[in-house]
Amino acid sequence: MSVPDTAAGADAGRGSPRPLLWACAALGGGVLLHADRVPAWAALLALGLLLWRVASARRGRWAPALALRALLALALVVLVLARFRTLNGLAAGTTLLILMAGLKLLETRTRRDYFVLVGTGLFLLLAACLDRQDLLRVPLYALEAWVCCAALAVIGAQGLAPRAALALAGRALLLAAPLAALLFVFFPRLPGSFWAIPRDQQAVTGLADSMSPGSILSLVTSYDTAFRVRFAAEVPPPQERYWRGPVLHEFDGHTWRRAPDAYRPRQALHFLGTAYRYHVWLEPSRQHWWLALDTPAHSPDLHAQLTYDYELLGSEPVAQGLAFVAVSYTHTAAAAPLAAGARREDTALPSGSNPRTAQLAASLRGRTASDAQLVQAALEYLRGGGFVYSLEPPPLGADAVDDFLFRTREGFCGHYASAFVVLMRAAGIPARVVTGYLGGEWNPVARFFVVRQSDAHAWAEVWLEGRGWTRVDPTAVVAPERLRRGILDLLPQGLSVSERMIRSSPWLAYLLQRWDAANDWWSERVLQFDYGAQLDLLARLGIRTPDARQLGWAFMLALLGWLALITWHVGRGGRAARPDALARAYARLCRKLARIAPPRAPHQGPLSLAAMVAAHRPELAPAVRALLERYAQLRYGPPQGAGQARAVAEFRRAVAQLALP
Amino acid sequence: MHRRQGDDRLPVVLERRRLYILPTRAGAAFGVLLMLMLVAGLNYANSLALFLTFLLAAFALVVMQLCHRNLLGVQVQSLSAAPLFAGSPGVLRVWLGDPAGTARLGLEAAVEGSPRVAADAGAGARACLDVPLPAARRGRLRIARVRLSTAHPFGLFRVWTWVHAPLEVWVYPRPLGRLPMPVYGELQSGRQARPAAGTDEWSGLRPFRDGDSPRAVDWKAYAREAPLLVKEYSLGAAELRLFDFAAVRLADTEARLCQLARWVVEAEARGERYGLVLPGLRLEPDRGPEHRHHCLAALAAFGLGPGG
Repeated sequence: MSVPDTAAGADAGRGSPRPLLWACAALGGGVLLHADRVPAWAALLALGLLLWRVASARRGRWAPALALRALLALALVVLVLARFRTLNGLAAGTTLLILMAGLKLLETRTRRDYFVLVGTGLFLLLAACLDRQDLLRVPLYALEAWVCCAALAVIGAQGLAPRAALALAGRALLLAAPLAALLFVFFPRLPGSFWAIPRDQQAVTGLADSMSPGSILSLVTSYDTAFRVRFAAEVPPPQERYWRGPVLHEFDGHTWRRAPDAYRPRQALHFLGTAYRYHVWLEPSRQHWWLALDTPAHSPDLHAQLTYDYELLGSEPVAQGLAFVAVSYTHTAAAAPLAAGARREDTALPSGSNPRTAQLAASLRGRTASDAQLVQAALEYLRGGGFVYSLEPPPLGADAVDDFLFRTREGFCGHYASAFVVLMRAAGIPARVVTGYLGGEWNPVARFFVVRQSDAHAWAEVWLEGRGWTRVDPTAVVAPERLRRGILDLLPQGLSVSERMIRSSPWLAYLLQRWDAANDWWSERVLQFDYGAQLDLLARLGIRTPDARQLGWAFMLALLGWLALITWHVGRGGRAARPDALARAYARLCRKLARIAPPRAPHQGPLSLAAMVAAHRPELAPAVRALLERYAQLRYGPPQGAGQARAVAEFRRAVAQLALP
Repeated sequence: MHRRQGDDRLPVVLERRRLYILPTRAGAAFGVLLMLMLVAGLNYANSLALFLTFLLAAFALVVMQLCHRNLLGVQVQSLSAAPLFAGSPGVLRVWLGDPAGTARLGLEAAVEGSPRVAADAGAGARACLDVPLPAARRGRLRIARVRLSTAHPFGLFRVWTWVHAPLEVWVYPRPLGRLPMPVYGELQSGRQARPAAGTDEWSGLRPFRDGDSPRAVDWKAYAREAPLLVKEYSLGAAELRLFDFAAVRLADTEARLCQLARWVVEAEARGERYGLVLPGLRLEPDRGPEHRHHCLAALAAFGLGPGG
């Protein structure tokens, strides 16, 4: 092999460690994307093998025998099985892929092996995309894609320089982006899926379908977004921004639970007042709850069911975030009396528990004429009883409600809702606990409300004859500010230092709002772009009933446009190469000579140019001829190997020193 | 082998319609990976995964375009091959360049039965590829076409073309045999062959050619990065030799040809004048590269039909 006229391929030797290093970088990037998701030992093992392989790239190294490698592979499969109990599912599959790629490093030496490593890196990137889609992670994913493509360039070109590889891969990816966007919009999506998606067991914060005294606390200290809401027209006042989650009926003295899953007809309702129409974007929670304003009028989607308690219950856990449009009312009246079974259920208490609460209920009952008055009297009791709102309440004893109402008097929404409902039930009024969120932070940039996990809340609903289920929030009596402000404003010790800083600085808060707005755009326009959104977009483009042929034509047209664009761009890019040093020196010589003789014609070679100069200025002919002959020799003569660069440099100096009087 | 479009006349610039492109094995694997990613993305209805898949698919199309562009417009400037001796590998030298002076990296060339060799042409420079020729039997080695290709950049696609510029290379018989060199008796009676070195006058240097004796090479000059040169001596008194096929005392025709080839090579290396007599052919004593070639070519063609 020879590299004649230039030294371009001087360092592109076959023994270059670059392909290996880049393949390892591509794989390592993929492993790092999952480092906090897979078991620590798996990530450490894979990264350790990577480092070992990189370190041994230059010197001779020990490679384990085939039998040993097979044994190792088997052992690792068993380990993964022991940890996950399955090989199916994203977490188990990713762990296995990372480990097998680590083993592959033990026998990596050919180009094909390097390609396999880069392919694994790309597949890990895909798994990361399936796993988490935060806007914050997107730059990481883009970087990994870039590194993988640059690694392909280095492997394909046998040791391209890193900067050249990155530039080449970056350029190709930038050219690819428009077509990717086109495909993203027009490629047909599935209304369902090919096969059932295995559930992941990883818990994400969100409302559970039970409530014990401390359970809400794990939510309220989290600053994560639960969902975003944009109202179409009217916005409910702050005291009515209750977002309904699980409604809890059964109480065992400690924990509230949902009613058993028997079919029961929904309570018939008259909707009163304003109909609020709004858009909700749920963040992934891996729970079934679709959070809606107080009382939704109907189910917004085939995949969600409006339950007996007017909860919205999705048919699948919210694994990747989703969007829906709903209509809700904040005032309702029952259109039918409470069914006897429901009344029995919602006045039931564990027998013999909380005796002092029962006494209090009896005394309240004695003092009041109606259920509505009793509710007011109970609230008055809470208001005047020296109750304190606190996120760090003292622990409660066996009769938790008694202990709370008469001893500690310190608690947060869960305590107040629970105690209030027990009190109502003891007085014979049907009551239930509703968990959900209260309030939300207005984002003026994106014009929507952000409801965070810290807005989690619990309140009570009591059945009042003639009005039906009525919302009563005992927490609002104790801490009225809670209605207007987030829980974390009330109790700043629940915030981390950085979150407190954000809240104390207006421009940081503004930046945070911008970031939320960007997240919203990302979530709505990109992540939620599914079958339905695609149909909507096509309808807006005037394709009401898209059939494959129309879409095909539209897409082919777009594809042709893109191909023309990149053909033009690639062709243009090719012409823009800088001439080499010899060509530049020759061009300079020609410019100098043009001052004493007619300029060189395009077809004229150096020797013919020398003859022409000699005809015009015979006294300069020897010097000029020598230079031009030197050029001809350098350009067209036999290659001179290592001496070439030196000879070209000499020629350039000679051209620079040529004085033409 | 004949081509409908006729043969290429060098230099030829590679046009669009004669370039073919297909994925390499790595490219096919990349395609399979993309299909898997697509299915996963669709199944999970995951927008980010789908976008990644589409980005990589579009990337592959760009790569295809870049790869095509890397061979399109390349000028095949010359194909040449020096005569070779049977059983020893030869070299087909291919000069490629870009008339516009654009850099073309990773250019490959191959002939049937040979591995690919690759070289780069930097901006404004040419690439010289030395394709090894498979060792052949004596006669004329016909190279009907040369395959030019490139997988640069990324190695996911390979674009290729055939250049039909038929080339014939003489394959001389392998110089073998231990018989002493005969003397052309009648004209040179009483004189014995003697080694070339010693009494002869040094007459200059010339480039190395196949068959030159290593002892004649100017190794000192070679160590100073000069090309391989051979010291030439002119004989004070020219010796005349005549190598007669009929007079070689060997049974096998091929062995006789090999012996004759060796004598020719040695006599030329010594600077002697020699002639060759084959059945139906007589080359009068002479010397010089052309004469040497005529003699060796006659030996190569001996017994083979025209065009064989």
